[in-house]
Amino acid sequence: MDIGTIQAYAYFIFTAFLVVVLYAYIYHLYSSQRKGKRDYEKYSNIALHDEITDQPVEEISKNDEIK
Amino acid sequence: MENRPLEYDYTVAKWFMLTTVVLGIVGMLVGVILAWEMAFPAVNTFAGSGLAEYTNFSRLRPLHTDAVIFGFTLSGIWATWYYIGQRVLKVSMAESKFLMFMGKLHFGLYLLVVVAVVVSLLLGISTGKEYAEFEWPIDIAVVVVWVIWGMSIFGLIGIRREKSLYISIWYYIATFLGIAMLYLFNNMEIPTYFASGGIGAWYHSVSMYSGTNDALVQWWYGHNAVAFGFTVPIVAMIYYFLPKESGQAVYSYKLSLLAFWGLMFVYLWAGGHHLIYSTVPDWMQTMGSVFSVVLILPSWGSAINMLLTMKGEWQQVAASPLIKFMVLASTFYMFSTLEGPIQAIKSVNALAHFTDWIVGHVHDGVLGWVAFMIMAALFHMAPRVFKREIYSKSLMNTQFWIQTLGVVLYFTSMWIAGITQGMMWRAHDEFGNLAYSFIDTVAVLHPYFTIRAVGGTLYLVGMFLFAFNMYKTMTSARRVEESELQNASPMGA
Amino acid sequence: MFHWLEKRPFFFAVAVFVVISFAGLIEILPNFAQASQPLVGTKPYSTLELAGRHVYIKNDCNGCHSQLIRPFKAETDRYGHYSLSGEYAYDRPFLWGSKRTGPDLMRVGNYRTTDWHENHMKDPVGVVPGSIMPAYPWMFKNTADIDTAYAEQITVNKVFKTPYNQEIPMADGSKATVKLAATLDEAHADALEEAKAIAADMKDQDVKDAVAAGQIPEIVALIAYMNSMK
Repeated sequence: MDIGTIQAYAYFIFTAFLVVVLYAYIYHLYSSQRKGKRDYEKYSNIALHDEITDQPVEEISKNDEIK
Repeated sequence: MENRPLEYDYTVAKWFMLTTVVLGIVGMLVGVILAWEMAFPAVNTFAGSGLAEYTNFSRLRPLHTDAVIFGFTLSGIWATWYYIGQRVLKVSMAESKFLMFMGKLHFGLYLLVVVAVVVSLLLGISTGKEYAEFEWPIDIAVVVVWVIWGMSIFGLIGIRREKSLYISIWYYIATFLGIAMLYLFNNMEIPTYFASGGIGAWYHSVSMYSGTNDALVQWWYGHNAVAFGFTVPIVAMIYYFLPKESGQAVYSYKLSLLAFWGLMFVYLWAGGHHLIYSTVPDWMQTMGSVFSVVLILPSWGSAINMLLTMKGEWQQVAASPLIKFMVLASTFYMFSTLEGPIQAIKSVNALAHFTDWIVGHVHDGVLGWVAFMIMAALFHMAPRVFKREIYSKSLMNTQFWIQTLGVVLYFTSMWIAGITQGMMWRAHDEFGNLAYSFIDTVAVLHPYFTIRAVGGTLYLVGMFLFAFNMYKTMTSARRVEESELQNASPMGA
Repeated sequence: MFHWLEKRPFFFAVAVFVVISFAGLIEILPNFAQASQPLVGTKPYSTLELAGRHVYIKNDCNGCHSQLIRPFKAETDRYGHYSLSGEYAYDRPFLWGSKRTGPDLMRVGNYRTTDWHENHMKDPVGVVPGSIMPAYPWMFKNTADIDTAYAEQITVNKVFKTPYNQEIPMADGSKATVKLAATLDEAHADALEEAKAIAADMKDQDVKDAVAAGQIPEIVALIAYMNSMK
């Protein structure tokens, strides 16, 4: 196998892999929203409620004490 | 510690806002000079023939591109990072002495690099590679600045209160990584002074890559520096500022996540389109074309997401010049991400490459999308960091229309110029001879070069209005209370 | 899996890096060895030519002039044979350019002379009426940096094995050798010899005087470079 063939295979396999991952991600996003496991849309509130006194959308649990 | 409530600390953001405005004016002023030089070559010696070496087109051109890319845009990216970063992570820079110090060091070193770049480019010290003209000592300084920024990003993330990273942070991280990788690999060079045992200029270096390889690496860099300098971080800005200013949640947060991965995956492939019909392997040129076309999807994913965020709220576009800037920016984003792939189609590229159409494409992207978004971001930030309302709304409106007119004049004239020139280069008469000598194709462009120079000048006038408005906002506008700063920015008449 | 990634900035950054570096790895690396093979007849630059190339870069000539002839009839009619990858084997950096405000210069040595360049650099409009190229009078006064050019020759010879002092096959079957001087003084002397041959074809008295006095103005080096582009 010369370098060109390896290049072509590597290209094809990796692209196919990443396409599969991307579609799996789409499926993950929409199915977990539908099943109610996770509400992705709430994260847009991170920008809307961003005063330092606002309650974080999801607090870091180990970081409860404010330094 | 004094006993007062914790606040976001915008010191570093303010400093970078200043350099954004100053370097924006410098970069665009040089650009306008260049535009007039192309329309009227006598302008090349505007400062007298003694200084012609430093004012002529070829010496100033790298200064224009680098001042706008690494001066204006990069300052804008950092100004917004030091603003957005704290807010969406809900942590103040005042909470960490280390991060505060790093932020200040970041700015100080950046200023030094800017000075070194301006001086060296004026002296003609250049590696000869576009947007990577800096010689090795400056490259090293750039790397240091970049690493400091990385420490700031990951340091701030490390002490965050918000568990999930907002989409803008994703884009900033990608900017950081992307540029780091591209810059390092493209600037691999060997200082000749050391390799030859102390002969010649100490700052001179020679590229590690030769010929076609150098071209491949350069355009892999050149194209993707556009991706990670002009697209990714600007998308980061609009994902924060448009929802915040309009008070509307992002239309679909899921779509924004998808568009992110799509963009990351596809963008790097598209670099090959700069080398169509050159001596790089054929399949790579084809990949460049194909992926450039595919690139429309993630780009439009973000742009449409932004426009849909304004769904049902279009009265805000009419009411607020700030929202106008952002909506026009995302429209130009859609427009230039459609235009780019069209130019990357092989048969179109055969005509467009080496012509002014490419220059037009760059500028409708940069003037219409990047600069509009950065100015909108600064307008939104100003009342929050200076605790004053924006000095004048009517001045903002005036600036908006002057600059929009400027951009339109710019890209329309460059379209016509580019296509005219491309057609004339390839025209043959009935005997199969070339129909035009090269100089014919230059002379015909004069009116378009003039229109372009007018367009550029209008844009620059808008920049001065912007600078004035910001200055007044900083110094003498009405003071505002926290309660006025929720969403729509307060503006004076 | 995905949600896990979204909350871990470090692994998230690694994932981004993998995705963005993939194209570069596959696209660029495998062709490196192949693309850097010189074409038969391609020679490394002499000291004076290299100094001229530095003048070319210093004044950003590549901002307006390409060095890449694409394989179209209109281009080969205008500029000569289309460019081949191996012709650039000794170009560090490459100077293809991205904009043709002026014509391509890839093979300018085939159809322009020393005398033409001299007049043109002094007064472009006098040679090409309607030209928008600025004049470059300072090139007639500034001295070319032979030291740095020589340093670069040593560097590429040492690091990249650029074949100096070796026989190189030419297209017509003959052999040619490009000399790399043993010392800096010798490099200066060789460059001056080359410069004298060019100055002999020039009219500018100041340039002739300078060369006679052992100085090499930038314009002479630039013309040496331009003449070598074939």
